[in-house]
Amino acid sequence: MQNTDNENTIGIPRAISYYNNYPFYYGFFNALGIKVILSDKTTSKIINDGTNTVVSETCLPVKVFTGHVINLLEKGCNKIFVPSIQSTAYKINNCSKIRGLPEIIRNVINADFTIIEPTLNKTENVEFKDFCYQISSYYNINDTKIIENAINQGWVLYNRFIKLAKSRIGYCEALKCAIENREAVIKYKPEKQISVAIMAHGYNLFDERISLNLIKKLEKMDVNVYTSLDVTRDRAYDAIKELGEVQYWANELELTGVAANYLLDNSVDGIIALSAFGCGPDSLMVEEISNQCAGRNMPLIHLTLDEHTGEAGFVTRLEAFIDMLQRKKLKNARLNKNIIKINDIKINQNELIESLV
Amino acid sequence: MNKIKSKDRIIAWPRMGRIDIPLKALLVSLGANVIIPPSNNNKALEIGVKNSIEGICLPYKLNLANYIMALDKGANTLMMFQAPGSCRLGNYTKMAQKTLKKLGYDFDMVIFDMYQSKMKQTLQAFWHVTHCLNPFKYYKGFSLGFNKFFAIDKAEKLLFYTRPREINKGDAENCYNKWLKIIDETNSVLRAKHLVRNIENDFAKINIDKDKFVPIVYLIGEFFVLLDPFTNQNIEKTIGEMGIEVQRQIWFGDWLEHVLKPSFLYHKLSHRERSVIYAKDYMKRPIGGECIETIGDTVYAAKHGIDGIIHISPFSCMPEIVAQNILPKVSRNENIPVMSLVLDEQTGKAGYITRIEAFIDLVKRRHRKNLADKV
Repeated sequence: MQNTDNENTIGIPRAISYYNNYPFYYGFFNALGIKVILSDKTTSKIINDGTNTVVSETCLPVKVFTGHVINLLEKGCNKIFVPSIQSTAYKINNCSKIRGLPEIIRNVINADFTIIEPTLNKTENVEFKDFCYQISSYYNINDTKIIENAINQGWVLYNRFIKLAKSRIGYCEALKCAIENREAVIKYKPEKQISVAIMAHGYNLFDERISLNLIKKLEKMDVNVYTSLDVTRDRAYDAIKELGEVQYWANELELTGVAANYLLDNSVDGIIALSAFGCGPDSLMVEEISNQCAGRNMPLIHLTLDEHTGEAGFVTRLEAFIDMLQRKKLKNARLNKNIIKINDIKINQNELIESLV
Repeated sequence: MNKIKSKDRIIAWPRMGRIDIPLKALLVSLGANVIIPPSNNNKALEIGVKNSIEGICLPYKLNLANYIMALDKGANTLMMFQAPGSCRLGNYTKMAQKTLKKLGYDFDMVIFDMYQSKMKQTLQAFWHVTHCLNPFKYYKGFSLGFNKFFAIDKAEKLLFYTRPREINKGDAENCYNKWLKIIDETNSVLRAKHLVRNIENDFAKINIDKDKFVPIVYLIGEFFVLLDPFTNQNIEKTIGEMGIEVQRQIWFGDWLEHVLKPSFLYHKLSHRERSVIYAKDYMKRPIGGECIETIGDTVYAAKHGIDGIIHISPFSCMPEIVAQNILPKVSRNENIPVMSLVLDEQTGKAGYITRIEAFIDLVKRRHRKNLADKV
């Protein structure tokens, strides 16, 4: 049990926006003097709690989010951070369920607690700074200097996280190093034969329980894994444009952006799309990318998750996909060899002709 | 494909309820050729399901089928409105264009972007397809269109009122169908303006039992499924024949007036504004789609003595899932029964009717009890 009588605490559920923005939140809240309480890592109990609370049609990430809020309430936390991220750029909106997270939480959980519910809506000119000011107004902090300083602190931590993540040490390690402000130790990783890119929302992919530890499973199969952490936002944005698509969803960069980047530079052998069952935006984005993949001869597998996903079936599909990639690579290598041989002969012939003339 | 000459254009648009009647009047007045795809039916659904991805919502599947059927009949210009920022609706035209191109069709799609300057966008779109310069024709077209929208809405409202109360079964339905035909055939602005009054007079002639015990149920939910009788399996008729008056808060004419009229001419409290006011205890912000309308209408119904709410939405509709999560609490706090029905392409009619019957029984019992309590 944490000390929760303290007014200056905030409970952050380990779900949805946590996976993209936690370093910022951590720096920001600490600079404001607010103690951050995190919910536990996702367990089956958390998923079950969430599933029992919301309507069955709701998607898995929102169920998990609700479970985490319940977990925080059980920890005795009475101020819980539930942001409503409506749009991240003009006309670039989020999915309704993420926009309406506070509405869902307020109406499904019968308990006495305060929801810290700032809104980010760039379509309506509610900028990120306003979002931060909204948060601090819940704690009666009105001093502009303190808030601006806290925002800067948040960015410092966030940038550190982004830099660390680029060094390919994995999401958890990067997050730990960024928060503890220490250097990362980069272990030597031998070059692997196969590499794949994963297009998925951070909250699906980096949650080890939801994604059934997909990244580690792939690494065990001797596969290089590239995720949204390896692609900068600007690059993802440009890649979407280069592919001739238009960004429509707020979190499209993590999916279409990543896939587009690796499709264009052709440095991976295959793409894995990981999405939750019934996810509206994903259904469209994966379709878009699979059309593009078909045109460019890039293998793609679409794995769908829900609260019942059995691990065995999931692994079988994954193994089959990796096997297929390996065989394809082998075949291509053989073909390439042949091409070189033919070329060699051609050069010889040219030389012959030249010498004849 | 913008090379199609305006006189060679054959225009089609997706079906939704009876919007074909006013739109046809408008476009024909502007001198355009139109093709109306067959109304939504099982065949359309089959075509739509076959050509779209599994995860997309039902309205898109039907829209796509409408396009395909219209193109097969010879249309070369498709019209559709879109409103980014609502939900997946903003992606419909993009996806449909890609799918249709992949199927090998050649066409021009004209899109009304309803996000800003709605009237300008609309006029531009109509100018683009017809190249009509005569302002009188525009006046005639829009006037005919609007009056027909209002007439259809009026006829539907009266149908809902009359159906549970009629003495000879089927009178209201016949009257409604007769008027739809007349509305469709009306060709002068003057006559169109009298339509609403004539419809009122005609419905008043139907023999009804005015003292009949008739509970009222609100039908709320997603825009398309509410307005398209095929998609909602004609739920209004099913409920009406069980002796319940259905009321709907979403009307196409209403919505169009709100969307198209400049704000200085629109003095009423719009449906959206009313919903925001009524929903404020449950929702603090609109989240796209018709979620806030659903919640606002439920609270409004509870405060105005309505006996029950039936909430319908297509499967995997994102805004309505949020609404579904909020509705149980609204129902508890405002003391009004609510039933959510989710529709998809596989909905079996029998199971659906059983659920409605059970709900209607509950509503009737509650209504009787309330009456008894009052006495």
